[in-house]
Amino acid sequence: MRRSAQLNTQYQARYTLWGLAALGVLILLIFPLLFRQQPYWLYIASQALFYAILASSWALLAGYNGQFSFAHMAFMGLATYASGILGRETGFLAFDLSPWVSIPLGVLFTGFVGLVIGYLCLRLRKTYLALFTIAFAEITRLVIKAEVKFTGGPNGLPLKPLLESTSYVPVYYLMVALFLGTLLAMYVLVRSRYGLYFQAVREDEDAAAALGVNVVNTRILAFVVSSMIAGLAGAVFHHFPTVGLVVPDEMIIGRMSLVLAMAIIGGSNSLIAAALGAIFIHFSLEWLQEIPLPAAILRTLEAHRATLESLGFGLGENGLKTNAWRMVGFGMLLMVTLRFRQNGLIAPLLERLSRRHVIQEIAARRRAREEEEIEVSDEPNEQVGGAS
Amino acid sequence: MKLEVKRIVKNFGGLQALKGVSFTIDSPQLVGLIGPNGAGKTTLTNIITGMLAPTSGEIWLNGERIDGMRPYAIARRGLGRTFQVTRAFRRLTVMENMLVPALARNPRADRHAMEQKAREILAFLTLDHLTNEYARSLSGGQQKLLELGRLLMLDPQIIILDEPFAGVHPRLQRTIYDYIRRVREAGKAIILISHDMESIFTLSERLMVLNFGELIADGPPDEVRRMPEVIDAYLGRDEEEETEHA
Repeated sequence: MRRSAQLNTQYQARYTLWGLAALGVLILLIFPLLFRQQPYWLYIASQALFYAILASSWALLAGYNGQFSFAHMAFMGLATYASGILGRETGFLAFDLSPWVSIPLGVLFTGFVGLVIGYLCLRLRKTYLALFTIAFAEITRLVIKAEVKFTGGPNGLPLKPLLESTSYVPVYYLMVALFLGTLLAMYVLVRSRYGLYFQAVREDEDAAAALGVNVVNTRILAFVVSSMIAGLAGAVFHHFPTVGLVVPDEMIIGRMSLVLAMAIIGGSNSLIAAALGAIFIHFSLEWLQEIPLPAAILRTLEAHRATLESLGFGLGENGLKTNAWRMVGFGMLLMVTLRFRQNGLIAPLLERLSRRHVIQEIAARRRAREEEEIEVSDEPNEQVGGAS
Repeated sequence: MKLEVKRIVKNFGGLQALKGVSFTIDSPQLVGLIGPNGAGKTTLTNIITGMLAPTSGEIWLNGERIDGMRPYAIARRGLGRTFQVTRAFRRLTVMENMLVPALARNPRADRHAMEQKAREILAFLTLDHLTNEYARSLSGGQQKLLELGRLLMLDPQIIILDEPFAGVHPRLQRTIYDYIRRVREAGKAIILISHDMESIFTLSERLMVLNFGELIADGPPDEVRRMPEVIDAYLGRDEEEETEHA
């Protein structure tokens, strides 16, 4: 009976998770139908998926492997710039390549840079690794900004369009495919033996090495894979006709901190939670730019416009503009998460769902074992084999 | 199997932690390694397993020189160890902890077969009811057992156990005793480092004593325990015996 109940709970948990996953995919697929008249939100959704890929690939590196890197946006930018330069018609290293060719080459280039940086970072831990990667990211950004002839400098580098259509719908669906594809690839990786190695190295490098895990290769693999995925997301997204340009300030540390915060708020020990965190934060920040309010309330607030503006708010046509306050709220959410929910806000919910049957099974087994031990302790004491 | 430790010296700045330690293990046997705190036992273990590089000296395993190799390469060649302070992978489940060494040693291994093997070992270690529990939820003693279980999954020929009984509940100590006996019967060599003299003298077939970085004794436990230098350095004299001598 107990076994049967456990299996039922296990299947329920599994079906619940698959059901939620299917619902998530369905929402992604029908989103353009719901927002057909609002292309702006389709663009925001594509951008959210771009951030979701960045956050989940950062979670692969930091959450699964314990490498707290700030160079993720730099890798995103490197692949995009490499692809853009290879696709140019004129200039140094201009091969006029199609984006379908230049993007994979840009991603490979980023993988190579990730290999070098990963190797250089091998002996660096926590704060030192963070500082090293900040330095690398800033050097990369500043060099790109300074090399005006080669990269376009602060004005950015125009990129060939990946698609002919300028509609937001195909762009969105391509981004959905990229998001689901990269998420699936990372999921397969973390479920493989390499995922176990990643986590073992994160937990204790010496113990992992003593058990036969090649720590150097494991750390480098995590660095290269996460860099390449960030690069892929950046190159594809920026080659969309709706974007078409990459500027060096996208690699600024503030933007990196945004990605990092998205992953942390979602839960950096889960790829899906980090991705959901990014989607939630990106949509929230966009929505908070101008919080829609009923006309009656807007009229009332109009009388207090000067006071609102002196407090840093503003009044738009349809609602209250939060200006910098939305970032204050975002920062506070991050602080609260770090203080009270270090596993993030979404990851624990997913874990509770996925491990519900496991927790019940362990509790039942613990009870059974305790009952056995009580029975044993009722028997006459036995000398412990020679131990003092 | 053959482990040869030849003239190992280790200096930490001005301190010489090991002063030319040499010994050979060339058959399945249980070798006790004792010595006072700071004698160099853990340093020697770290050098043998590649965690530390010796200042001079050589280590050979089955005819291959292994000093200078990385720890993972030494582990894959069949030399496993536990740590004095338990080092379970806390945020991995017990089963995942068990699979790490099995797949690292043999990447082509069938995962389901490895899981089945892990379940059998966990049942022997009385941890089978915790298979899917996170290691962080285990007691200190259970984490020690988990470390021992991981070693069996690595399947080394030579095992170094660093203080396996320290801080362990007597009931779990009995399981560790059974574990050591089973591993020994499986034809493996064990180096047992412990301050628990009862367990050392009960289990060891050969006893080595380190004192201030020097191997001052190496032989059958009954002979070693009577050596005056060993008594002076580590074991001490019984109060009654001292009174008689006085």
